[in-house]
Amino acid sequence: MMLARVADSLYWIGRYVERAEHMCRLSDVMLNATLDRTESAAQVARIALSAVGDADPAKIAAPYEAAYALTLDREDAGSIASSLASARENARQVRDQITTETWERLNLIYLRMTAPDAAKAFTDGSSAFLHDIIGDLHLFKGAADATMSHGEGWGFLLLGVHLERAQLIGRLLEVCFRDARDRPINDHTLLTNVLRMSCALEPYLRRYTADVQPRKILEFLMFDEEFPRSIRFSTARIEEHLTGVSRYVEAASHGGPERLAGRLKARLQYADVENLTLDGAAGFLTTVLDECAAIHSAIYETFVAYSLEMRLPA
Amino acid sequence: MSDTGTALPYDEMLTAEGEVRPHYAALDNRVASLAGEELAERQRTLERFFLLQGITFTVYGGDSSTERIIPTDLLPRIIPADEWATIEAGLTQRLRALNMFLADIYGDQQILMDGVVPRELVLCAPSYRREMQNLYVPHQAYSNVCGSDLIRQPDGAFAVLEDNLRVPSGVSYMLANREASKRTFPGTFRLAGVRAVDRYPDLLLATLKSMAADWRPNPQVVVLTPGVYNSAYYEHAYLARLMGAPLVEGRDLVVHDNMVYMRTTTGLKRIDVIYRRVDDDFIDPLTFRRDSGLGVAGLFNAYRAGNVVICNAPGTGVADDKAVYAYVPAIIRYYLGEDAILPNIETYLCREPSQLSHVLANLDKLVVKAVGASGGYGMLIGPHASVAERATFAEAIKADPENYIAQPTIQLSTAPCLIDGQIDPRHVDLRPFILSGEKITVTPGALTRVALKKGSLVVNSSQGGGSKDTWVLAGDTEETQP
Repeated sequence: MMLARVADSLYWIGRYVERAEHMCRLSDVMLNATLDRTESAAQVARIALSAVGDADPAKIAAPYEAAYALTLDREDAGSIASSLASARENARQVRDQITTETWERLNLIYLRMTAPDAAKAFTDGSSAFLHDIIGDLHLFKGAADATMSHGEGWGFLLLGVHLERAQLIGRLLEVCFRDARDRPINDHTLLTNVLRMSCALEPYLRRYTADVQPRKILEFLMFDEEFPRSIRFSTARIEEHLTGVSRYVEAASHGGPERLAGRLKARLQYADVENLTLDGAAGFLTTVLDECAAIHSAIYETFVAYSLEMRLPA
Repeated sequence: MSDTGTALPYDEMLTAEGEVRPHYAALDNRVASLAGEELAERQRTLERFFLLQGITFTVYGGDSSTERIIPTDLLPRIIPADEWATIEAGLTQRLRALNMFLADIYGDQQILMDGVVPRELVLCAPSYRREMQNLYVPHQAYSNVCGSDLIRQPDGAFAVLEDNLRVPSGVSYMLANREASKRTFPGTFRLAGVRAVDRYPDLLLATLKSMAADWRPNPQVVVLTPGVYNSAYYEHAYLARLMGAPLVEGRDLVVHDNMVYMRTTTGLKRIDVIYRRVDDDFIDPLTFRRDSGLGVAGLFNAYRAGNVVICNAPGTGVADDKAVYAYVPAIIRYYLGEDAILPNIETYLCREPSQLSHVLANLDKLVVKAVGASGGYGMLIGPHASVAERATFAEAIKADPENYIAQPTIQLSTAPCLIDGQIDPRHVDLRPFILSGEKITVTPGALTRVALKKGSLVVNSSQGGGSKDTWVLAGDTEETQP
């Protein structure tokens, strides 16, 4: 039992930190790749910027400026700085619910992002700057894992993390492979960079060797059971944490988020991976993204914005 | 030094002859052994602690906002055991009497019938809440959390400047300053034998629970905050966290059938005690201000029905009114038959014609305060004001004498502070925190507020004040010191 508003805030902290981490990685990969002025570099920029929903050709042509804005622009609600500010603002609102250790990590990241010299730090070494934020976000998650009780609040935090992660990876894959029939992607550099954007390069290589192919990337990022950024892994965690937080809410099981999450988990667990085609994958991804959105709404309606009439004591 | 013309201020560390008082010796030695750079380093450690904890307020400027910490001074203020014993006894006595006073004026009004306090002074005060009349308050504990402002006069005696019985804040600074000073002066701290303040949160919880204990076992306590944009939000979250009580906002609460519930993930959960950090005016739009979005509609009726306890009780402000203040010694005598242990500052009530003419004739020597204002606003510091300012203020007083009181220019004591790398005395006051429920407890510590501007007597954080840790010494350890 916890305040509905608090659960909502914890859930959003999870979403915002995951989003910030993902965008740091996209920006970093894009900046690194576009140091070379090749066609595949331009494709990396296109994919990275399309994945954050901004495929403006002018921005693709100026990846450094795009990354700068994506990182530091507080006017843009979708920037890394804004995501971290929102995460920290939510954390401030539930300051009594998270441990001091967890709070300090997040507060530090926020202070670094909003420091007067943040712009200079980014200009001096954008890669190091983004790398440090990713590292700090890992410290935040580690501190949360090691110091917070793994109860309801923790469940909502991780629900946010994994739902956001499934959606981000889903969107990235969708952007990469949506047009695969018309424009097949065979460029090794580009494919490697897609794996980097999902923090998946090393685990992929260990699993499939350096034989980088679109179908195997899809298989790995969608259906791998053990890789923490695969959609299957995230949906299994979503189901697990929803079961945890639904324990006391009758409405959560029937027709509510728990059923949706169970169905999505099963969809990924029992998918016909052997016969997966690039075409089929695109449709599959759309279904996954729709169901993630439905779970998000169901969580909100079940735990946060439920109608009072249903829950008043008799 | 300020130009009040009268006696020199009392210095917490040095005697008039310039000798270090015994209870400051250990700190003085330690500080003397540190180079300026080492002190500055400790000051930075201290500020970083506050920044990391998020004990900050936001300054908006240009196109960005930055986080600032409330200025905090490195050097603790030290109070010896015997002086603290007097403070403790005085505060306990005072709050007991004030709670009895509140129970009386919201009950039979005996003290008004006996003419000890003028009837219209109480009943016409804006902070008097007719709605509280004849409402049962357990243990007669109206002001469960009280923060009284004390000052030390030139002769070394403490006096009460102001009682804060409504929604006093600052206790988180007492606790955070202590955390910080344990890091900055661990050795000296251990040697000095400082009394612990860290029981405050659990004593607060016990106090709040004692307010409901007579009808519900294991009551659900919550802290009600106006929200994250309130300047004391950090404190609300801090206390909630340390008590393990949910921190709720008005929008989290629902009143149904005169019961108060909070919206949880698993449905509605009944609440028994609300430690509210929202002013009277805003707690219930149905009873008080209708435009308030911070409170809960129907809360006051639930309170009247006895289904929830609001702490502090609404309407306590009438007893810390600046005009009622003048009567507190009489109130103590009336209910307890004792003389006040801690004296008041001499106060002239402009509502009394004889005192009004005295005030107007001596504006250049007096501090005049509007009865309803707080936080250092709406006041005239006579000796520092220009002739024109005094003339304007005199007109304001004559137009509405009931709204003003006057006091002689008070002299705050000074304590050593670290200012730009140098040790320099600054004026300080003292705000201890007193809990009252089933019993009254004074936490052995306080918020010491500092006027960081040289010579300034204004310690309010809204006007350039800072704070420092306050060490209350345990008696027996004191004797082992050289």
